[in-house]
Amino acid sequence: MRPTLPLLLMTVLQGLSGGLMISFGVLWWLVPSALPTLDILLWSAFLIAAIGGVASLFHMHKPKAGRYILRRLRTSWLSREALTTGIYVPALGVLVILPHLVPKIPLEYYGLGIVFTGVLGLVAMYVTAMLYATIPAMRSWHTRLTVIAMMLVGIVSGMAVAEGILAVAHVPGAGGRDFHIALLVGIAVLAGIKWMQYRHFLEARQSLRTATGTGMPAAPYRLIDSGTTKLPYRTQTQVGPELAPRRRQMLYVMMGLTLIVVPMALQIFPLQPAELGIRWTSAAIVMVCGAFVERWLFFADVTHSSRVWFGDELKRASSVSSNRVSPDFVRRFRHQDGL
Amino acid sequence: MQLTIITDLNKCVGCKSCQVSCKEHNTAGAFGTVPDHDPYTEPDGMWWNRIVGMESGEYPNASVLYLPKACMHCYDAPCVPVCPTGASYKREDNGVVLVDYDSCIGCQLCMWACPYGVREFDEHEGVVKKCTMCIDRIEDDTLPDIERQPACVQSCPTHARTFGDLEDPESEVAKLVAQRQGFTLLPELGARPAVHYLPRRQAPVILDESEVLRIMEERY
Ligand code: SF4
Ligand code: SF4
Ligand code: SF4
Repeated sequence: MRPTLPLLLMTVLQGLSGGLMISFGVLWWLVPSALPTLDILLWSAFLIAAIGGVASLFHMHKPKAGRYILRRLRTSWLSREALTTGIYVPALGVLVILPHLVPKIPLEYYGLGIVFTGVLGLVAMYVTAMLYATIPAMRSWHTRLTVIAMMLVGIVSGMAVAEGILAVAHVPGAGGRDFHIALLVGIAVLAGIKWMQYRHFLEARQSLRTATGTGMPAAPYRLIDSGTTKLPYRTQTQVGPELAPRRRQMLYVMMGLTLIVVPMALQIFPLQPAELGIRWTSAAIVMVCGAFVERWLFFADVTHSSRVWFGDELKRASSVSSNRVSPDFVRRFRHQDGL
Repeated sequence: MQLTIITDLNKCVGCKSCQVSCKEHNTAGAFGTVPDHDPYTEPDGMWWNRIVGMESGEYPNASVLYLPKACMHCYDAPCVPVCPTGASYKREDNGVVLVDYDSCIGCQLCMWACPYGVREFDEHEGVVKKCTMCIDRIEDDTLPDIERQPACVQSCPTHARTFGDLEDPESEVAKLVAQRQGFTLLPELGARPAVHYLPRRQAPVILDESEVLRIMEERY
């Protein structure tokens, strides 16, 4: 399936905003004195979430029916996503403007607000990830790894962007050493999880063959007609053309570089204070690009159970048909005729 | 009650009459139009019933198998609980799974959830559509009895398809499933489809008279 731009934007930006919000909360707790400087993180988290929210409106093809979206809260993770994200974004907005409306707000109340909104952000990220992980037909997504990876991408990219924003605001390192180490550990854990997820995607892809779709006993079944279904499967978006092996390989390498290797390299080496800002800002930009590549692959490389009937498996040439006369055949023929 | 369609894979010859009659009825019918805005330049539009062709075995012992594939009207239809607006629902009285186009937002989550890839997205109306088991024909009591069945069942020239209530032990479909080991597709995904297929039988052993005489001669 090829993800649409609104789908990419809403999932990546929701995670990014959640990560930024959590970073803001942690930094505020670690360095309470830095609150005025940290304000910019909260604003960024809010703006990013708002862009994601607007993108989600474009994801609906019939927004008029959007008023029914909370009808299936009992069973549908998409209903729950609309609810949790719908609460998170306004809560974030309140947290942003409250200090401006009520200048003397008691710190402990504000702290409670931060914890509450941070938890809301985490819940929204979890619910979004569960939406994908709970679909058994999506063989590549139906695993806990989906939830862990999606939340980690959000949190870690949010942390990297928080450091980048603080660097741009000329207070690089405002988060202190602990925050920086936590970010490096986060990137390392993310690398491991993404590797496991890559293996899972591979397994899902390899375990579904045309032969398994017929309910027949094991036999070499080959799809010869997929029922008037043709690329690019316009009306059946759950499949979509399979990625060509070289392209897939290139994209995974690109994801590894942008999401893990380059940000890690930019963050890990001993730093001169002078170059701290530029390095951390670059790391944040590269990582956000990585998050988009990661999400694009998440959708584009997925294996749906119905792929068994779509058959854009590579066509194998017949092993028995040929224009050439088989030398073996000629030999046998001559032998028979005594030639 | 659980309405269903049973297909005998021994009888299906892959003529696609059911595929075409489904499209014909649902393009002209009242319930939901299958959109083909440009059918002559883009014949690969929306089909609610697609006949998949499979080749099995290796030459020279090869054969073909045809698998008509439409909505399975699953007992535990995964497409229903995921739908946020309640547009996808399963009718309690007859088990048919339907989509209410007025409340569908076109999020396509149900298409991801359906293990069989039988839901199709209508780009023009922004909603998801699929086989309705010709509910408009079944429930139209102004139609003659013979027409109160799905278009695909009525049009099948080999009578490979049978329509009925799977939960009525006296119905033809229930008997066929019980007596002929009817099976469902991808049972491991837990959707419990109502639509069943009757497995292909082994090719009959062909003996001519001389062969029988030879064996009799040899053994007795
Ligand atoms: S076959 Fe697919 S669309 Fe039909 S009821 Fe089952 S899950 Fe839903
Ligand atoms: S596309 Fe329509 S029917 Fe399908 S899940 Fe979304 S709202 Fe429900
Ligand atoms: S009409 Fe009958 S024989 Fe023809 S493809 Fe459909 S089920 Fe098979």
